[in-house]
Amino acid sequence: MKTIYSKLLILLFLLPLSILAQSTISGTVTDSKTNQAISGVNVKVKGSTNGTATDFDGKFRLSNVKKGDALTFSYIGYKDISITYNEQKGLNVTMEEEFSQLQEVQIQVGYGTVKKKDLTGSTTTIAAKDFNKGANVTVENLLNGRVAGLTINTSGAPGSGSQIRIRGGSSLSASNDPLIVIDGLPISNDNGTGGVSILASINPATIESFTVLKDASASAIYGVRASNGVIIITTKKGGKTLSVDYNFQYGLGRLIKTTDVFDGDSFRALINSKVPSRVASLGTANTDWQRAIYRETEYTDNNISLKGNLFGFIPSRLTLGRTFQEGLRLTNEFNRNTIGVSLNPSFLNNHLKIKLNANYSNETNRFAGGVEGSAIRFDPTQPIYQAGSPFEGFFEYYKMNGNVVETLPNSPRNPVAQLMQTRDLGLNNRLFGNFELDYKFHFFPALRAVVNVGFDESFGERSFSRATGIVASGSTNNNIPYGNRSFSQTLRNNKLIDAYFVYTKSFSDLNVDVTAGYSYQTFSGRNFNSNNLLDPNVSANPLGYNITQIPTKNVLLAYFGRANFSYKDKYLLSLSARQDNSSRFRKENRTVWFPAVSFAWKLKDEFFKSNKTLSDLKLRLGYGVTGQQDFDDPNAYLEKYNTGNGTSQYFFGSTPTPIAVPARYSPDIRWEQTITYNGGIDFGLFENRINGSVDVFYKDSRDLIVDGVVPDGSNFSNRAFQNVGSFTTKGVELGINADVVKTNNFNWNVNFNFTKFERRVQSLLNGADLATGDGFAGTGGSGQVHRVGFTPASFLLFKQLYSNGQPIEGAYADLNADGLINDQDRYIYRNSDPDATFGFASNLTYKNIDFSFNLRASVGNRVLNAVNASRAQYNNLTIDSQLSNIPTSVQSTNFNTTSNVVFSDLYVENGSFLRMDNITLGYTFPNWLEGKASLRFFTGVQNAFLITKYSGLDPEITGGVDNTIYPRQRQLLFGVNVKF
Amino acid sequence: MKKINLNFIYIFVAMALLQSCTKDLDVISEDALVLSSDVLYSSEGGYKKALAGVYGNFSLTGTNGSDSSFLQGIDAGTSQFGRCMWYLQNLTTDEVVWSYENDGGVRELQRNVWSDQNPILLGMFSRTMASVALSNEFLRQSTPEKVAARGVSAAESANIAFYRNEVRVLRAMSYYYMLDLFGKAPFISENNPVNVAGPEYSKLQLFNYIQSELTTVIPNLKTARTNEYGRLDQAVAKMILAKLYLNAEVYIGAPKYTECLAMCTDLIGNGYTLNTNYLRNFNAENHTSPEMIFTLQSDGVVTQNYGATTVMINGQVGSLEGNGADFGVGGWGGALRLRKQFVQKFDGNMFSTDRRNTIFSGTRPIEIANISLQGQGYILKKYSNKNNAGAVGVNSTFVDTDFPLFRLADVYLMYAEAQMRLSGATNVSNTTNANATSIGYINALRMRANNGTMAGNVTQSAVTLAFILDERSRELHWEGHRRQDLIRFDKYTGGSYNWAWKGNIAGGTSISDNLKLFPIPAPSLAANKNLTQNPGY
Repeated sequence: MKTIYSKLLILLFLLPLSILAQSTISGTVTDSKTNQAISGVNVKVKGSTNGTATDFDGKFRLSNVKKGDALTFSYIGYKDISITYNEQKGLNVTMEEEFSQLQEVQIQVGYGTVKKKDLTGSTTTIAAKDFNKGANVTVENLLNGRVAGLTINTSGAPGSGSQIRIRGGSSLSASNDPLIVIDGLPISNDNGTGGVSILASINPATIESFTVLKDASASAIYGVRASNGVIIITTKKGGKTLSVDYNFQYGLGRLIKTTDVFDGDSFRALINSKVPSRVASLGTANTDWQRAIYRETEYTDNNISLKGNLFGFIPSRLTLGRTFQEGLRLTNEFNRNTIGVSLNPSFLNNHLKIKLNANYSNETNRFAGGVEGSAIRFDPTQPIYQAGSPFEGFFEYYKMNGNVVETLPNSPRNPVAQLMQTRDLGLNNRLFGNFELDYKFHFFPALRAVVNVGFDESFGERSFSRATGIVASGSTNNNIPYGNRSFSQTLRNNKLIDAYFVYTKSFSDLNVDVTAGYSYQTFSGRNFNSNNLLDPNVSANPLGYNITQIPTKNVLLAYFGRANFSYKDKYLLSLSARQDNSSRFRKENRTVWFPAVSFAWKLKDEFFKSNKTLSDLKLRLGYGVTGQQDFDDPNAYLEKYNTGNGTSQYFFGSTPTPIAVPARYSPDIRWEQTITYNGGIDFGLFENRINGSVDVFYKDSRDLIVDGVVPDGSNFSNRAFQNVGSFTTKGVELGINADVVKTNNFNWNVNFNFTKFERRVQSLLNGADLATGDGFAGTGGSGQVHRVGFTPASFLLFKQLYSNGQPIEGAYADLNADGLINDQDRYIYRNSDPDATFGFASNLTYKNIDFSFNLRASVGNRVLNAVNASRAQYNNLTIDSQLSNIPTSVQSTNFNTTSNVVFSDLYVENGSFLRMDNITLGYTFPNWLEGKASLRFFTGVQNAFLITKYSGLDPEITGGVDNTIYPRQRQLLFGVNVKF
Repeated sequence: MKKINLNFIYIFVAMALLQSCTKDLDVISEDALVLSSDVLYSSEGGYKKALAGVYGNFSLTGTNGSDSSFLQGIDAGTSQFGRCMWYLQNLTTDEVVWSYENDGGVRELQRNVWSDQNPILLGMFSRTMASVALSNEFLRQSTPEKVAARGVSAAESANIAFYRNEVRVLRAMSYYYMLDLFGKAPFISENNPVNVAGPEYSKLQLFNYIQSELTTVIPNLKTARTNEYGRLDQAVAKMILAKLYLNAEVYIGAPKYTECLAMCTDLIGNGYTLNTNYLRNFNAENHTSPEMIFTLQSDGVVTQNYGATTVMINGQVGSLEGNGADFGVGGWGGALRLRKQFVQKFDGNMFSTDRRNTIFSGTRPIEIANISLQGQGYILKKYSNKNNAGAVGVNSTFVDTDFPLFRLADVYLMYAEAQMRLSGATNVSNTTNANATSIGYINALRMRANNGTMAGNVTQSAVTLAFILDERSRELHWEGHRRQDLIRFDKYTGGSYNWAWKGNIAGGTSISDNLKLFPIPAPSLAANKNLTQNPGY
């Protein structure tokens, strides 16, 4: 680490601050139709790198301008304007919207940008003005449902992480998370402790744009980490004129739905009829435990963003954010305070540009564990509180043994008490950002050198406590609850240094853009976990439990290059290659090349030049190879011994000895590789009022890193990571954007996307099945499998037999006809991949009123309803020592015994759904305070409705098995936005 | 301009410096508990820790507590050696049922409808073969050359020679269980490198290997009862040999009763004595019982595992009785109950004072009509997490009770059986040819069971081989022997002896002969192309 610090130090010496006075122009940019100021417009002196951007009032100041310079104004979705500088004092520019064909927009493609119209790969950009509206606590929700091929599944817990998948992912056992790059810094998905998720510490208000690199021809520049696609996040830059943007949002949320179980009265009736011998155990209350564990929530979000020219020469931005979100579960809270700074000064006649982005977040959380399971099963005839209860008044099952309070074994614990009596606090402080120097050579302006230094450091703490004696839930010894107090800490470090050259040159009809560079990144960390300090066996244990763990560092070193050629502005060719070296593989396997090539042909200019209807038509073809190195045992190639902790010791005589055991190891493990073929057409109609893209793709993932079986006795486990197997994904994506109505007062824009893909396991080690998924009923039983010829993680279940349409308990088809019903009769019955997903967004403005909504839909995804499979049987009424509630769906099956039916295909349901993520209605006072400011009020509904046939709570789950989820709340939102 | 050029020199210098980072790619573990083999074995007590690892694989499941496992894709507890062995040897027989049939693999095992997909079979196969792999690794790392090169003290070097021989016995024991349960095994020695698939060894090959390996090693082991607790001695090796010989007809189709008798005689002369209190072989202090030849460890503090004793003691607790306090555990709500045919082994006045009969009936029906109803069927009170003085173990989940893998009483009954078979008794005869020595051993167990009285004593005329089989169940139930015994007596498969839920019928039914051997688990079969599946699967 020392070496990298010393390198950083040298780079700091490269900050020569010289300012040369030049003539300066200022002005305002407004929309030609609405007369509203446009912020973020790029203002540049043509043919130079001198430029700035407008602030929130559409104002700009540009220095170093000479008479005769051509000034260009460009902004996403607007037609470019070019004006010659004639020593005007002030310049009022109006820009005309260009029906979203983002022609001149610079798209981040990794180590540089490409004009949207010159893109050759499958890439989608969503900029701030198109972000999802509403209560989006984490950044990824700003683009949920907006990008074809991108699915985002966020749990109901505030700030919680999302499962993000681009084109379904590319791995079986390794990670399927895309690489996320923030201002040039690839971040790790490892969040450490204390925080909710890695993206939760980012303030969504600081985001300028997302670029999603979907195919390998686009993402291969990120090499060994790019197989699952790349999401490039760019934060907002500094502005030159002072502007203030304040946003406030308030939300009220509540629960929408509970799992149908018996209420108090019907439960009493049920026990009377089914197990009359236990009637005496019934209580007299009517408690809806699922309502009792939740509450109505509050949400507040405050953001203030200041832009201005610091010291007169540093365009700056300061964003302060404070987000508070209560979770539905009692006590659950998410707090985030963020400070974001962006400084973008230019020096040496704009030859040297500096970007500094620094983001600090302080996240504090109170976590609430999942008690949905106990709420579903807790006896509804028992009260929440009971006078005289030794457990702080909470009803619990217990007995007195003399003066000692003993809980009753195998009895459920009051779920409300579990939440209220647990203090589970987390803290995560994170500082991340980058420092970039971009220098254009004075005597060779076609060449630029860029050095980017990135850093991401987070420190997390979490403390968990349940008091001894007064808390019935949690650990007990001889039925005496001893409580829980534990403490953990993590430190995560991510350091990056990139350096690259960019050479741009035009030779008559040929434009060449070449990038070549070097990247070095390290990830390291440290963990500490005290375990339960109240465990009476800790003091008796000579080794104790305190464990400091140091994960082995990951070092990545890469050389990369890209060459873009454009001939006659009609034929575009892009070649890229990255050589990655990863510490996750042994020397012989460490180095690998990832090549990519893509080609685009502007058919419009070739064949339809005079066609008025067709405004754009471009064919794109791409091929590329990407890698994956992120799997659970990052140093599987290292030969190592694990030493037992305090509870894993063996006695020799009377001396406990920690065991030392060789870890399973995979000396030959290598990266995974995915080869992607992509073909696409970008089109525009009616001056691009309707525009979009269609892509077809085929991905072939090979040498999959699979935690696969090894010959027993040959390694130190039954499985080891190895490069076996392959799977393919083929799919089609469509994205359309249309300006349905476009007039002075009335505008309506809609955005639609469609994705369909199909994943198939092509080979596995010796063709053998690979069991996967968690056990959802009892210990050690899984209902999913990876099998050759099928979708990964398909359900493996018994085929239910029916009589007159009624399922027969325990009767399954003997599929192998051997006269026995056993695991060999299980068959593949569907999977959780959707047949298709859809996104639809609508934005409508009429005069000063705006109205928008986002819809998402998924069709054909299947959900295994494990709540019903494991609980909706009458034997569960008495399976614990106390009476337990069961789902009312038992009345349709009349099943008695869980183990007879738990793996029946009966419990796989159609999880197709249509969800309204957000509806927002706003009104703007554009000329507030005599035109000095604008003021917008809005209201909306988050998670407005869900239409589905699924009988459980919510079909939008991850992994395909619904074992109860943290429910998503519906929120009513109010907000105000002030701009000066 | 000079200034600018200087800046560029800086940039290039910085980039050049980056080149030196290549060596950073050679990462090493910085964690105190994750060591390279050289660091481990060169450290103080390193060899003993590794030895604890080989022994520990029979008791523990992983290095990070009871929920951790060396094995993957299987629940940690479900792959504990003693527990898997107990499931296969006891749960598939007349002695017990497990109420929670949702738990992976249990339902198929106790109803005798298992397939190669069964997770418990995978746990057993993989755990036992992991033991072979750990043994081989220890033997590779402990060669005299390596020990010398690592600067180990002379005293420790001498100990390491014993460690090596003990590890060889553990490896042979693993193959013994593979032979008994699967009838075959991939054979791998310390001479094979890691990640090489072993060839399939047949019953005969395994038999010959175990016999010759143990015979070779025995002289170089510590003599019986002279090693420290937790480590094995000559008696353990002899016990494995005795069992190998007793079951030789099953294993290789050739009787070895002479050899078995000799081995039992030898063992009986090794100074072990019956514990005067039968139940002290099954409580939290059972490792001190003078009768124990080898145990699988469990400790509520430092050797936590969801192994056989933790499962049995928590499982014994009745759903209606909530009698965990009797055993010093919380209990798992009536997980284990007895099948009627086992309960009936204690029918009759002869057993009225027999302390081995810990069966509790209460108001329970003897029949188990529905396995998931924990109130049906009698329960057992054999094992306990209390010490001899009646104090409960420190931890009410993880018991301090060791699993009694080998004990003297077993040797007594093996002696009697081998003697009778050697004298001509067969599974189908009613011969009563037990000699006075055998009767003496049987009655020694009876007297111990009857508090030193002769109330339960038997005479020669009562002792048939069928009696021996029942007596073994009375003495050794829930100790991992029943399936092997039933097979040896030809009562396991077929329909000559049916018990509740045998063959997936409440009243019991005949099952196919191929079930005498378990199938090679599908993943294990797929991983090693040298292996072939057992017939009928």
